[in-house]
Amino acid sequence: MKPIRGKVFVLGDDVDTDQILPGYAMAERYEDMGKFAMAGLSGKSFRDIAAPGCIIVAGRNFGCGSSREQAPIALRQADVAMVVAKGFARIFRRNAINIGLPVFAADISDRLKDGDEIEVDLENGIVTAGGEILQFAPLSENTRKTLEYGGLIPRVRDELHV
Amino acid sequence: MNLIESYLAKAAGLKQVTAGEDISCRVSYVAAHDVTAPIAIKMFREIGVKKVFDPERIILIVDHIYPAATEKARDSVWMMNDFAREFGVKLYHRGEGVIHQLMYEKHRAAPGELVVIADSHTGTCGGYGAVGVGVGSTELAAAMATGKLDLEVPEAVQIYLTGKLPSNVFGKDLILYMGSIFGTDYLTDRGLIISGPGITEFSVAERMTVCNMGIEIGSMITLFGTEERETGVLETREIDLSRLEPMTAKPFSPVNVVPVREVAGLPITQVVIGSCTNGRLSDMEQAAKAFSGKKVHPEVNTLIVPASKEILDGMEARGWCKIFRDAGATVLNPGCGSCFGAHEGLISARDVVVSTTNRNFPGRMGSKKGNIYLASPATAAASALAGKITVPKAECER
Repeated sequence: MKPIRGKVFVLGDDVDTDQILPGYAMAERYEDMGKFAMAGLSGKSFRDIAAPGCIIVAGRNFGCGSSREQAPIALRQADVAMVVAKGFARIFRRNAINIGLPVFAADISDRLKDGDEIEVDLENGIVTAGGEILQFAPLSENTRKTLEYGGLIPRVRDELHV
Repeated sequence: MNLIESYLAKAAGLKQVTAGEDISCRVSYVAAHDVTAPIAIKMFREIGVKKVFDPERIILIVDHIYPAATEKARDSVWMMNDFAREFGVKLYHRGEGVIHQLMYEKHRAAPGELVVIADSHTGTCGGYGAVGVGVGSTELAAAMATGKLDLEVPEAVQIYLTGKLPSNVFGKDLILYMGSIFGTDYLTDRGLIISGPGITEFSVAERMTVCNMGIEIGSMITLFGTEERETGVLETREIDLSRLEPMTAKPFSPVNVVPVREVAGLPITQVVIGSCTNGRLSDMEQAAKAFSGKKVHPEVNTLIVPASKEILDGMEARGWCKIFRDAGATVLNPGCGSCFGAHEGLISARDVVVSTTNRNFPGRMGSKKGNIYLASPATAAASALAGKITVPKAECER
């Protein structure tokens, strides 16, 4: 897997799914989810406040709350390249990987501000930020495999020989 | 092996499993609702298989937005309808109730069976001993196709209960108190087993309330065990039930918990009693007893949301619906109702809500500035009558 490089958008602890994608947006069309990305946080569309290809960097328990897969879908549609957080709620983490949005556990939010550039090497667990090289646990082989397929559906298709 | 490990081993067809091991489990039931099913259906069609693993074991339920509040919500129902006809799976789409209650009433898993629902509150079935794992839509689509769920065996934390519960303290107060101990993420990727002689203090309905909110402290699988102490767990914490008191979660987190007495007297504008957390008959009984012959405070919208049609039937048979209406409350249709900010009781920045539901995140019920306090039905009912947050009387009967 190629390392992912991008400008960061920094968020705090316990960013819940109602902030990532509010309840009222869930009945919108699948293709329109990106318009509501992070709308529960600022009321504004994430597309207007963050650079395309940005990396969300957050604190603990990112994505807590609902099982709504619309949350990571909205982030992906809003051109978020990946999410790096100190910790992830389990269902959000799995949803993101299952739709092919990379997530990576690393405690780096305190050392970064909006717009800083970082590079994340998922395979080796290395984050490069402000000239520093930081080592974290790499993604598990199983998770990496799903991401390499681009998500769970192509993987299941392959495994079921569809 | 602890209880979760032995159940997962059985579902995986293995003699032994250990925490951290990746296993593939056979699932007993697979279900989704109108928020998660549409994407699951889209993903299932992308897989391209011609049939589901077992139509008898797949259940689709319209509970979040029923009756449809928008045209798009109605489109989601049609999508589920088409899928159910094509693949022969079970569909509930006439307002029969919330998914976690209907699974208990109509498709009850036996203790230890694996239930996979595309909803975070799937742990609810741990109240009757089943293993509930909440997933997202894509994982659900894969489970509909394969009948399997891959997971990593979690480490388990035990809560060991002793003592007798005070008469105004309920399962809701216990899980809120547990939130104050563990915080939002201590149990992420872990299981939670509740055991000890104190479990006999809780009915199945109250156990379902406790397990329903396990996800609010991050738990992957929450279930009630036995009166015996579990072995093979990461750690055990004891709770003496006799020391508990009515608890509430203040804005804006389900773990921002204090005793109700600390916020007593705060004026409120809305009360919600019901939902998958506390919309069962025993919850309604608490409210009906409190409201009987009385009026709710004129400044408080009081919304009653039974978790299922069967529960609503029970309320009617006992005359409770009349009690609620005479008290000035509104009995809504069974479903997810006012809990999650899509319809039936949205709030503005001026509102202060006491709700028996499971989340009080910013914007959960509408305005991000509206304040939601989570509490038991007894606390919510006492507060509705007084027009301010109120500790329920100690003599209220369990």
